[in-house]
Amino acid sequence: MSSIWIPVALSQDILSGMAIPAHLPGHDLVVWRSASGRIAAWHDRCPHRGMRLSHGFVRGDFLSCIYHGWRYGENGHCSKIPAHPDLVPPAAIKVPRFDVREKSSVVWVAPTGQAGEPVDYRGFTGFRSLSVNAPADLIARAVEGEERLAGCSVVLLVQALQGRGCNLHVLAAEGYDTAQLDGLSLAIEVLRRRLEQAVAT
Amino acid sequence: MILYDYVLSPSCYKVRLLASLLVAGIDLRPVDFHPGAEHHSPEFRALNPAGTIPVLKDAELVLTESGAILTYLAAVNAHEWLGHDDPEMQARVANWLAFSQRLTASAGAARLHDMLGFSGDIDALRVQATDALRELEAAIHARRRRGGIFLAADRPTIADIACFPYAALAPDGGVSLDSYPSIRLWMRAIRALPGFIEMPGIHRLHEQMPEPGPMPDVVRKESA
Ligand code: FES
Repeated sequence: MSSIWIPVALSQDILSGMAIPAHLPGHDLVVWRSASGRIAAWHDRCPHRGMRLSHGFVRGDFLSCIYHGWRYGENGHCSKIPAHPDLVPPAAIKVPRFDVREKSSVVWVAPTGQAGEPVDYRGFTGFRSLSVNAPADLIARAVEGEERLAGCSVVLLVQALQGRGCNLHVLAAEGYDTAQLDGLSLAIEVLRRRLEQAVAT
Repeated sequence: MILYDYVLSPSCYKVRLLASLLVAGIDLRPVDFHPGAEHHSPEFRALNPAGTIPVLKDAELVLTESGAILTYLAAVNAHEWLGHDDPEMQARVANWLAFSQRLTASAGAARLHDMLGFSGDIDALRVQATDALRELEAAIHARRRRGGIFLAADRPTIADIACFPYAALAPDGGVSLDSYPSIRLWMRAIRALPGFIEMPGIHRLHEQMPEPGPMPDVVRKESA
């Protein structure tokens, strides 16, 4: 099943007050969580001079650029320019946004205004995200139908990265203990090595 | 205690960082590593025949390995940073100190190649750096599964300080950290420690810095 929603990270990996880099085909993103816990996904480019906003920092419900401190609210509008504290920033200064959802503790991103919601994998929760140095389509085919690893029920989500292989987001059924999850983590490492070796040969 | 120091050396930064976290007084003696290559001078090699930095000198004691220097600083100033609570923890710390040399030899060498034009098989170095970072990522995730974040204990130890700088600076050598969520959280925890200090390319948590004033901050743009 194809969906416009792309998994870019696991919820557990973006704490309140954090901004991280993420990727869609053709776009670099900053994904950040406000102090009140709301998640947002924007172009990773400051409208001022183009600095990556994923290097920026979160204060309250605002994301600030690290370069000159321009500050953006959750709607993407610039709300403050520290070098000109008395200026009300023009409404045209605005960071393009994407739609974003959190379902099954996965952060999903899609272009704004599209219909439909991401798949909800009920009973599963995000376990690990890891990069695989192999093309996404090959990996998606190789892991298709893979529902058990090391005795654990899993969902494997493949996220294409432009020219950089792909990310594998592993969801596990809820309720496993630490020993089972240790086994799952090892099995994921084995899987990645196998996939990369298969592509290399 | 005298630290023979170079401001852009991540290995020297390990020592400065730990000293700051422990509020331990050390005197810095700058070495003109680049472009002066002072570490190759006969005088410096009389002190450290290997011609490497950092070197820590405390009276008659001369230490030339960063892991040994971190161990000594912690043993003198704050025993809990040694991570010697039990044999397992002690062995973990020793393992991470040795592992940190793999980061230096891979991510560190890739960085010297890209930033200072040092020779080296850059593709091979990046593959080795990726291997080391993947091992670090998996280990930190295992700690997270147990409610922790630091490498060897439920508190920071010299193991974390030994591995932190070269992991944090991996992008300088063309190795992206974007796909390492556990390393990101671990670095965040280290950057939030009281007494944390910066080096070029490694910043404290900006959330904790004062509001930017009317003058623009001068911040290095990423060299990506
Ligand atoms: S580039 Fe972002 S504030 Fe200047």
